[in-house]
Amino acid sequence: MSAATGIADFGTTSLAALRTARSSAWMRPQMVFGYVVVAFWLVLVVAVQWLAPFDPLASVGERLAPPSAAHWFGTDALGRDVLSRALHGARYSLPIAFVSIVASVAVGSVLGAVAGYVGGIVDAVIMRIADVTMSFPAILLAMAVAAALGPGLNNAGIAIIIVWWPIYARLMRGQVLSIKEREHVESAVAIGASRRRILFRHIIPHASTPTLVNATMDLGQIVLLVASLSFLGLGALPPTPEWGAMITEGAKNFYQPWIAAAPGLAIVSIVLAINFIGDGLRDALDVKARR
Amino acid sequence: MTPARQRTNRRWRAVLAGAAALAVALTGCAGGAPAATTGDRPLVIARAMDLTTMDPQRGYCDTCQIIYTALYERLVTVDPADTSTVLPGLAESWEANADNTQFTFALDSGAVFSDGSPVEASDVKWSFERLVNLQGSASFLLAGMTGIETPDESTVVVSFEKPNSAFLAITAAPYLGIVNSEVAEENGASAAEDAASTDDAEGWFLENSAGSGPYTLAAYSSGESIELTANEEYWGEEPQFTEVEMKEVTDSSSQLQQLQQGDVDVAMQISPDALAQLEGDEAVTTEVVDSYNYTYIALLPAAPGGEPLEDVRVREAIRMAVDYDGLVDTLVAGYGKLQGSPIPNGFEGSKEVALPSYDLDGAKDLLAEAGYADGFTVSATYPKLVAYGVDLDLQMQAVQQDLAEIGVTLELNPVDFTQWISTVSGDGTPVTAVYFAPDHTDSSQYVQYFGNIDQGGLINPWTGSVSQEQTDLLAQALTESGDERMATYQELAESMAADAFVLPMVNPQLILAYASDISGVAYSPCCNLEIGQLGLGG
Repeated sequence: MSAATGIADFGTTSLAALRTARSSAWMRPQMVFGYVVVAFWLVLVVAVQWLAPFDPLASVGERLAPPSAAHWFGTDALGRDVLSRALHGARYSLPIAFVSIVASVAVGSVLGAVAGYVGGIVDAVIMRIADVTMSFPAILLAMAVAAALGPGLNNAGIAIIIVWWPIYARLMRGQVLSIKEREHVESAVAIGASRRRILFRHIIPHASTPTLVNATMDLGQIVLLVASLSFLGLGALPPTPEWGAMITEGAKNFYQPWIAAAPGLAIVSIVLAINFIGDGLRDALDVKARR
Repeated sequence: MTPARQRTNRRWRAVLAGAAALAVALTGCAGGAPAATTGDRPLVIARAMDLTTMDPQRGYCDTCQIIYTALYERLVTVDPADTSTVLPGLAESWEANADNTQFTFALDSGAVFSDGSPVEASDVKWSFERLVNLQGSASFLLAGMTGIETPDESTVVVSFEKPNSAFLAITAAPYLGIVNSEVAEENGASAAEDAASTDDAEGWFLENSAGSGPYTLAAYSSGESIELTANEEYWGEEPQFTEVEMKEVTDSSSQLQQLQQGDVDVAMQISPDALAQLEGDEAVTTEVVDSYNYTYIALLPAAPGGEPLEDVRVREAIRMAVDYDGLVDTLVAGYGKLQGSPIPNGFEGSKEVALPSYDLDGAKDLLAEAGYADGFTVSATYPKLVAYGVDLDLQMQAVQQDLAEIGVTLELNPVDFTQWISTVSGDGTPVTAVYFAPDHTDSSQYVQYFGNIDQGGLINPWTGSVSQEQTDLLAQALTESGDERMATYQELAESMAADAFVLPMVNPQLILAYASDISGVAYSPCCNLEIGQLGLGG
């Protein structure tokens, strides 16, 4: 089954089709949970300024107040509403994670595809660079890059791209190597198509499904990585209500556990939801290859 | 949350006590030693240590002050109740000449080192010269010293090129502790001019001490603990505890927990917010005392991007826009004071200086007068650290919120301490924030570091000007003593406050937390905590 047919099922409006869809691999319970949670956070990314109860940067109550009717997750050391800050956090973590993963996929896929298709010295150089990059533990390399670039969310994003692209380069190279031998590619060569056209029109589109699944599953890990970098002081700068940075503030106030609870729950919910969707996607698209 | 845990603790203690009693009964020792005396109970102190060396003439840190004071003694000490009163130490008497360029000390004939040999004038000369010649972080304390003479074994004469009325207070600093020169030299120490390259006693000092203090070093394990044993030859009043352990416990929460469990007797860095957890715990005594530490923000117009700060009205507006009472509440849960000038409360010259006050409308008017009615943006690079209970990150976010009210946008850039040092000594930053704790009890250090004088402190390289008035006043203060000096320092404090290059934010109080049966826990202006004063029976 391909992505195209799966999506086509959604397009029909007949009851029978809907029933099929609901029972299909696309509508399994944990995926539905994932859709709901992700939709919740996406709505917040767009409209948090109208939905959050308070201004995330303003002191609006007693400092270090425990959870109450007015402040569901209490207030932090500056008297800011923790819930509002956690909700606003979606605006930082999710776009950065999304942009980082898209950029990693783009850079990694193109380099991997070129390596696989051209081969020879080009392949060797690209893949050795990828090997060296992957030989470092991801968090360590990301920390080193972020520390060298200086703190800031954009720099954290750049660090993540540098750490993450080789995964997609490897994946794409493997796909390209096998697709390159297929008959439709050989016919394209026979009719004299240019190498670039063959690569981008006849190979990459057929190699993209595993990348899509992997990217979805990695999105959760990237959200965690952004939060980790911020937790270590290498990501968001104060007073940005970023989840990792908020957990650092919570750790400083050991006896006020609510300060870390809200961003912690936010991270757990979004990572769990993305992982559920990724898992479901893998089964639905029947991708056997997971790196 | 906590009451429940305390109850559990108590229950556990009861169970353990029962078990212990049972064990004693079973082994048939029930008739043995009664309650523990100080003799066999060690004193355990929990502290996040900032120690890198145990060599008293190389180190320069808060923990150094405490440890060096326990191991070594200085010629004089300072009265904890009144920092301008100097008390005898190794020297029983002293005298300064009329213009404060020459100081004569008469050593106490009863003073002996831990090996029983007498403390002699040559040891004082050797120790002072080694401090200077090692060119360590604390060597600046003796800057300007031209010579030390020892006319006889119990007389020391120290000379300076310029008047230095601060010298007696400096002599009480732990870094000027007197080392047994014979023992130290046998183990590789040198006080010669080339000591910085020839002295290799730093390793020896990690395992030994050679002082006349109430304790000697038993063991040191970096990042873990320092163990002290009572000096058997001590010539002063013998300390009550024969064994002392200072244990590395890095954060406030762990210190609190270990204190409540009875694992440690003294916890040195309990945060103000954790203080509430100790309320009603009878096994623990807490005291809140005034300190001389403070945090500040500095406005440095000559740094890149600092142009708007050139106008003193802008700096004054920033001072007026900060909600100081809110800050004390936010940063140290109310356990702090305001401070008017860079000379902290309790130091000479601080008494009459007006405290900063919050005046939003006044600040807006001043900014408009200076041509910044719409505000401006300025960046602030500061170290990420918690100093004396004040989290600088939190302080800067609070200041950022306050300044937003007058249209000034503060861009925060927290960095590691080492990176901050290279920023302020390199490219510069228009706004910064950090803390200051006294090295000794004379006000001159604050003018040297924060005054707009050309002496290489933190501020002057970035003010774009030099104040001749402050330069002259400092030189004058160093020739004076008594009330005259007090008046000069007050003039200096007012002048520095008017400059508004340095805006003190909070003067945090210090929280002393210790097991209720311990006595003698006090904050010492020269030496932080004097371990030799601690005993049982609170």
